[in-house]
Amino acid sequence: MAINVNEVYTTVLFILNKEQRGYMTPQEFNSIATQVQLEIFDKYFEDLNLFLRQRNNSNEYADRVKTVEEKISIFERQADITNFDLNQLERFYKLGSVTYKRSSNNPFGPEYPITLEEVTQGEFDLINRSPLTRPSKTFPLFTIKNNVISVSPMIAEITVNYLQRPKNVRWGYIIGSVGQFEYDATTYDPPVYPPNTVPPGPAAGSTDFEISPVDKTDLILKILQYAGVVIRDPQIFQTAGALIQQDEASEKT
Amino acid sequence: MELITDTNYQYYQGSQLFLGENIAGQKLQCTFDIVLNDAIDSVANYVVEIRPQNDANYSLYTGSNYSLTGYNEITIAGAIPTTTSIRVRAIQKAIWNNYGGYEYVKLSEVISNFMTAYVGSDKLISNARRTDVIFHAKRGLQEFSYDTLKSVKSQELTIPHSLSLPIPQDYVNYVQLSWVDKAGVKHIIYPANNLTSNPTPIIQDDKGLPAQGNYGENIESAQSFTTERWSSENVRNLNGQLDFDEASAYVYGFDWWKLFYGQRYGLDPQISQKNGWFTINERTGSFNFSSDLRNHLLILDYISDGLGYDEDTKVPKMAEDAMYSHIMYSLLSIKPGVPEYIVQRYKKDRSAKLRNAKIRLSNIKLDAFTQVMRGKSKWIKH
Repeated sequence: MAINVNEVYTTVLFILNKEQRGYMTPQEFNSIATQVQLEIFDKYFEDLNLFLRQRNNSNEYADRVKTVEEKISIFERQADITNFDLNQLERFYKLGSVTYKRSSNNPFGPEYPITLEEVTQGEFDLINRSPLTRPSKTFPLFTIKNNVISVSPMIAEITVNYLQRPKNVRWGYIIGSVGQFEYDATTYDPPVYPPNTVPPGPAAGSTDFEISPVDKTDLILKILQYAGVVIRDPQIFQTAGALIQQDEASEKT
Repeated sequence: MELITDTNYQYYQGSQLFLGENIAGQKLQCTFDIVLNDAIDSVANYVVEIRPQNDANYSLYTGSNYSLTGYNEITIAGAIPTTTSIRVRAIQKAIWNNYGGYEYVKLSEVISNFMTAYVGSDKLISNARRTDVIFHAKRGLQEFSYDTLKSVKSQELTIPHSLSLPIPQDYVNYVQLSWVDKAGVKHIIYPANNLTSNPTPIIQDDKGLPAQGNYGENIESAQSFTTERWSSENVRNLNGQLDFDEASAYVYGFDWWKLFYGQRYGLDPQISQKNGWFTINERTGSFNFSSDLRNHLLILDYISDGLGYDEDTKVPKMAEDAMYSHIMYSLLSIKPGVPEYIVQRYKKDRSAKLRNAKIRLSNIKLDAFTQVMRGKSKWIKH
């Protein structure tokens, strides 16, 4: 379940406009929102690393590791590829596990997927020198260069688990009867929508935040922090910063 | 989930039945445990047989070509009528290899099990490269093969006129060499030890200096005089055996010469045996035998390291836990920052489990044990 972009934008504008501090245009909001979403997304991996090193609990709602894993799972994808070029995967971000199994391209492959182990080229050369560790169909290896996978021994098709980068956030609008911006909830999906016609106009079509709704508060505070810079209001910047710190402290200690 | 996936028919018969579909290129997907293969320079390890509706028996299918087109998937070029039954049957050797397979777990499965159960966050080993686990598992299998696992490698050979046999391809060490008499009973052949050896014969010039060849290397003779003399020696001159050709292992013999027992003082027990001797010639990579063993039937029991062939890379289930402990200890002992008491704990764990595996695999059964002890005049209750 995504976070509705309009809810966030209106909340940010509501806080900003209080006491007539300033205004944030949709273009400014879209750039900042995309940036903040990426920041939060990046932070998931550091958080997971931190929580894995901490004592944990197995409560169904308060398990921090499970919570972060759920947040990451939103972006998990799987694809069968034969050209081994990760650049061709849509919005490829991070590589997870790589496996292979029996398929039309691997008719003699194993019934259950076998994981390929990732090594650097230097490690691969070392591993290849030892007859005990040399890669085999049972224990294959791969190296990765410029997002292109090299597999040893030869395998025709592999299955990659990877993370997709979140889509750029977009608060789309159409121009109202008096020139005002009216939120357009239609999903932004070029070239299908918006079409090259007026109306609805090139700014139409919206893309929601893809990150977990759990992070909505964090998201709004961080956008406000950036907004404080945009409208040159140190009070907004400082207040948002203090709230973020408070939030972090309660989440990670 | 059950571990046995073969049906009883598939296991005991090594076969699977299909019905013809009357289409060219029919695919037969076999589900039994035997891995079928079209050997490249030999015959395949399976055959396809058919039984038309009114026939009583299966016969070899020769109607068209067929080959493996996937894992245990056979594609038949021609069309087989729907009334015809098809049987894919593994060859006898493949069936034998499959029999008793439940006694073992594949090394690849041991490694996968270890990675699943022993490695991960919230575990003592939070991360480990699979390559390292593979290395330690294979090294463990080698070590286990030397002194814990059962010696299952055995060859029956005839000692040729040359008295020399090449060392087997996957040989690591011998367990026992014995010749077999007419009753099928084994007689242990002992190593020659100090009696003789297999030196490298160097060709010398008149002054006694080694002669060199075109590239400055010492020239070696093909056969050493020592070996030649040993081959032609009558071993009765060494072991003091009387000139009787006793070739059976009858335990109770009341022939008159056995009355000599205990009366021939001063014999060296090391060489006072009539089963013959063997030496290992490291230069030629062969076993050499004493002359009295010429044309005898030989049984060579030996150990390998368990990594020679794919079908060898398996661990007896009796030693599976010992293997996990071995990998665990091996990984922890080289990992920086692991407290020494943890390392020591797993060292003891490995040692205890290995000893347990050794006892289990020794196959000491109480009834067999008491039977042996009865012969020793010991009274054992059971």
